[in-house]
Order: sequence, then C-alpha cells, then structure tokens
Amino acid sequence: MRESVKDRIFQGALTFLLMILGGIALVPLLTVIAQSFSSKAASDMNIINLWPVGFTLDSWKYILSDVGLWRAFFITIISTVIGTALALTVTALMAYPLSKENFKLNHIIMLFVIVTMIFKAPVVPYFLTLKGLGLFNNPLVLILPHILSAYNLAIMRTFFKQFPAEVEEAAMIDGCGYFQILYKIIIPSSKAVLTTVGLFYAVTIWNQFQHPLMFIQKTELFPLQLKIRQLINGGSDIANIAAVANVNYTEGTLSAAAVVFAIIPIIAVYPWLQKYFAKGAMLGSVKG
Amino acid sequence: MAKKNKAAANEIKLPKSRTSLIHNIKKYWPYYLMVLPGVIFFLVFKYIPMLGSVIAFQDYSVFKGIFDSTWVGLKHFKALLTYPDFRRIFSNTLILGLCKTVLIFPIPVILSLMLNEVRNLKLKKAIQTAVYIPYFLSWVIVGGLIFDIFGVGGLFNNIRNFFGLNTLLAMQKESWFRPIYVVSSIWKDAGWGTVVYLAAISGIDLSLYESAAIDGASRLKRMRYITFPLLVPTILTLFLLSIGSFLELGFEQVFNLLTPMTYSVGDVFDTYVYRVGIQQAQYSFTTAVGLFQSTIGLVLVVTFNKLANKFSDDGGLW
Repeated sequence: MRESVKDRIFQGALTFLLMILGGIALVPLLTVIAQSFSSKAASDMNIINLWPVGFTLDSWKYILSDVGLWRAFFITIISTVIGTALALTVTALMAYPLSKENFKLNHIIMLFVIVTMIFKAPVVPYFLTLKGLGLFNNPLVLILPHILSAYNLAIMRTFFKQFPAEVEEAAMIDGCGYFQILYKIIIPSSKAVLTTVGLFYAVTIWNQFQHPLMFIQKTELFPLQLKIRQLINGGSDIANIAAVANVNYTEGTLSAAAVVFAIIPIIAVYPWLQKYFAKGAMLGSVKG
Repeated sequence: MAKKNKAAANEIKLPKSRTSLIHNIKKYWPYYLMVLPGVIFFLVFKYIPMLGSVIAFQDYSVFKGIFDSTWVGLKHFKALLTYPDFRRIFSNTLILGLCKTVLIFPIPVILSLMLNEVRNLKLKKAIQTAVYIPYFLSWVIVGGLIFDIFGVGGLFNNIRNFFGLNTLLAMQKESWFRPIYVVSSIWKDAGWGTVVYLAAISGIDLSLYESAAIDGASRLKRMRYITFPLLVPTILTLFLLSIGSFLELGFEQVFNLLTPMTYSVGDVFDTYVYRVGIQQAQYSFTTAVGLFQSTIGLVLVVTFNKLANKFSDDGGLW
C-alpha cells in the first residue's frame, strides 16, 4: 500500500507524540536515580533534574550498609519465594477438580468462590479475624493471605479444562491415581500458565503494602515496601543521620537511593514480567 | 434385626442427590481432598470476616468478644448518616471514583489507538516497554517518586522556579490532591491498560483496512471508522466493569499520596477505616462504614456485570 503524504504526516506526528510520552513516563525514574547519585551540595541547592550533579556514591554506600534495609529485602525475597510456591500448589490443587465435570461440587464451589469476589468483607472484621488467628506481628501474614486468588484460580481452571481427557484416561488405565495425574501429567504440560499465575502471585507478594501495614509493627519484621515507606516518610532516623556535618548526602538523596534500591529487582526481571503478564491479561474471567 | 431393616429402609429413602454425592465422594475422593486447602482458605480469609461483620450491630469490645458484646441494632448506621466525617469521605470517594471513570479510563483507549499507528515495530516495542514499567512498581515506590518530584528541589518546583514561579508544596495542597491522584493513576496504569485493547486491535480483519485504503480512506479515517468502532465492545465491557468497581479506589494508592493536610479532599472509605478503625480501634463504627461500602459495591458489581454480560457474550467477570 502506498501511503499518502497526509497519512505519513499523521503517523509521524503520532509516533513523535508517543516518543515524548514514553520519555515522560521514564522521567520520574530518571530523576530519582539522578538524586541518588548526587552530592549534598547539589541537593541543597535544588539543582538536580535528570542527571546527577556532583556525582557521588555516598548515599548508596550509606543505604547499602543499612542492615535494616537488607533484612527487609530478605524477608521480602523469602516470603515471595515461599508464598509463590505455596500459592501455586494450593491454586493448582483446587483448580484441577474444578475443571472436571464429574466432580459433583464443581459448580457449588465456583459459586462459593465468586461470592467472595462480589461481596468484600469489611477491613475491620478481616483484621480482627487474622489477629485472632495469631497473625499479628507474625511473618506468616506476608504469605498466607495471598496463597489463593479467585482470578488466578479461574485462569488455571480454564487452562486445565482444555486438557484432553484421553491422555488422563490412558494414564488411569496405566494405574495412575488422580494426584499422580495432576503431578506427573497436568503440571508438567502447564508451564506457561503456571509461570503466568506464579508471576501474578510473586508481584502481589513482593509489592504488598496493606497487609504489612496493618499487621506488622515490629520493625525487625518489616518487609521491603514497609521499610521503604518508613525511610522516605522520615519515620526512621534518616533525617537526623543526614543532618550530621561532613557527610555527602541529604535526606532527599538517601530516600532516593532507597527507592531505586527497591526498583532494581523489578527492573531485573522486567522483560519476563512483561511477557507473561501480557499473556495473563487476556484471561481474567471466571466463566465456563 | 428389625432395627437393621429400618436403617436400610432409611438409606433407600435418602434423596437421590445425597446418595449420589456419597457415591461421588467414594469414587472421586482425591478431588475432595484437593479442593480442601482452597476451601479452608476461602472460609478463613473471606467467609469468617464476612460473618464477623455482625460487630457493626454491636458495641464490640475486644475483651468481651463477638459473642458477649452488647447488641445495639442500627445505632452505628444511624450515627454514620449524620456524621459529618462520613459525608466527607463519601463525597471524596465519589469524586475520585468519577475521576477514575471519566478522566483515567479513556487514556489507555487513546494510547492504544495511537500505538497502533506506529509503523516502526522496534520503536513501538520501545515505547511499550517504557510505558509498561510503572505498572510493576508498588504504590509505596510510586508514592515515593511523586513526593520526590513535587517536593522542594523536585523537578516540578525546579521547572516552576525556572519560569519565575514560587516553590509550591503541591503534596500538601488540597487543590492539588485530585490532579495528582489522576496523574499518578495514569502514569502507573494507563500504559499497561493498552494491552487488552492492542490485543483486540490485532484481531481486526486486515482486509477491512485494505479495502478502505483502496476507497481512499486516510489513516485518520481508518482509525475513526474501522479501528475505533470495532474496539467499542471491548471499551464498553471494560467501562461497565470499571463502574462496577467504582468505590475501589485502591487503599495503597490513596494512602501513599495522602498527607494530613489533604485529608479533607483525599480521605476515602478505605483510608478512613484504616485510620479510625484499625489505628484508633473504633471497631464497630468502622465496620458499619465498611458494610455500607461493601453493600453499595455489591449492588454496583452485580448490576454492571449483568450489563456487561448482556452487552457482549463473554463480557462479564462471571
């Protein structure tokens, strides 16, 4: 197809506009990175924009030597790994029978699940219930509330439904039980959906803020997001530390470094996230 | 002997569904075992808190517990309707909900129509990569970035100063809260929001464009008369679902953008319930607030899901 001049201008203009928008989308990240590498003098003079001024690693040296931040980081890593593994197990176990028509409670249980999507229990009785279960100031609260979500269950159920019944029947004749079929046949051939759902869970647990905010009060149990919030909100002694003479950082550059510290792991796995999240985004219905 | 016969007779008389359920359990018992952890999860984390909502009808005391606290009927609901704080958070929630549906919702549609016109695939990919990133960051991080940009020495004030304007602490200004809510939502989620629309666009029959081009339709006209109309079912479905979640503004977003100076415009149901209910332990009253919100939410979700289903076969969530 030959393009007319008008069409080319139209496309060129839109492309140009999008490039600007894409650039603007990155500006908040660039400016925080710039701050984290800038000197105290530059920070005090308010002259840092998109590029570090008076380049220094002092803020980073301080942040990376913060034991509390590393502890929070490892708490988050551990809860994400254990939580995702547990979540995939519970979700797959539940999704498999729900994909079978000969499971008699199939539709009743789906209704039981859908009700929880429609009517959300108020936060306060939720808080009191979990507290009553001993989850207050308990690191398990970073994991247990996230090991099952109705959406992810629905995605996996839809996927399992497409699995040919003949393969399972053949396995059954060979003497496989239902657990073996799930473990040896269904799971190995569902890697794509398991990765997608696993990443959904992992990002939820990694980024979670509301649960730790409500349930974790001991600073030594803080996960990463809560720790970052504490650092950037002046809830820690960061302001006093930065107020000391002869240092080359400020409250601003320290909190910028903390924010970048928390962004790095996400950027590191970003290509992966982008690919699998896009697959999952098409599958958000409980029907069928 | 007679007793045994009677028992046998009883078993025969059992309703058919029940005997077949027992039969089903005997035959497929592993299925029942498999769903057990999940069912327990929903019972503990969803249904028990739902039942726990009865404390909205009590003067709940932690020491007396749910069974011994005094029942007070609709006291808290009556209090709520006359409480000035309640009107404030209700109207704040409605206004932000309106911002969400009117100002934020259309952006991904526009973005995907634009992205669809980018011919250079590498460039298109690069733009998508840039605009998708913020979606994966937590609201704590995004809040941190926003406070950084709007703070003293942040980009916003540097630009203002460059143009000779005074430093303005926008995060502490009531009039700036809603614009910042809207902009931060767009920055974080609008890019990612294009994924569904771009998928819908990629499903459009290319021959439509070809024949339109032969008839001399310009790119703009093809966008206006082919892409957009074919995108309308997707847009409408998502729009109905978004109205269904009107009151869900995202606790984490609002909480991370809020300062005590902006409570009057930014305090919504979720943040209020957290502050007054959980931090100040006014359990019964805030549960009443929560029940009020959940009930409206229920009506909205059910109504608009039904509409979405009616509108397109595969539209609704369930």
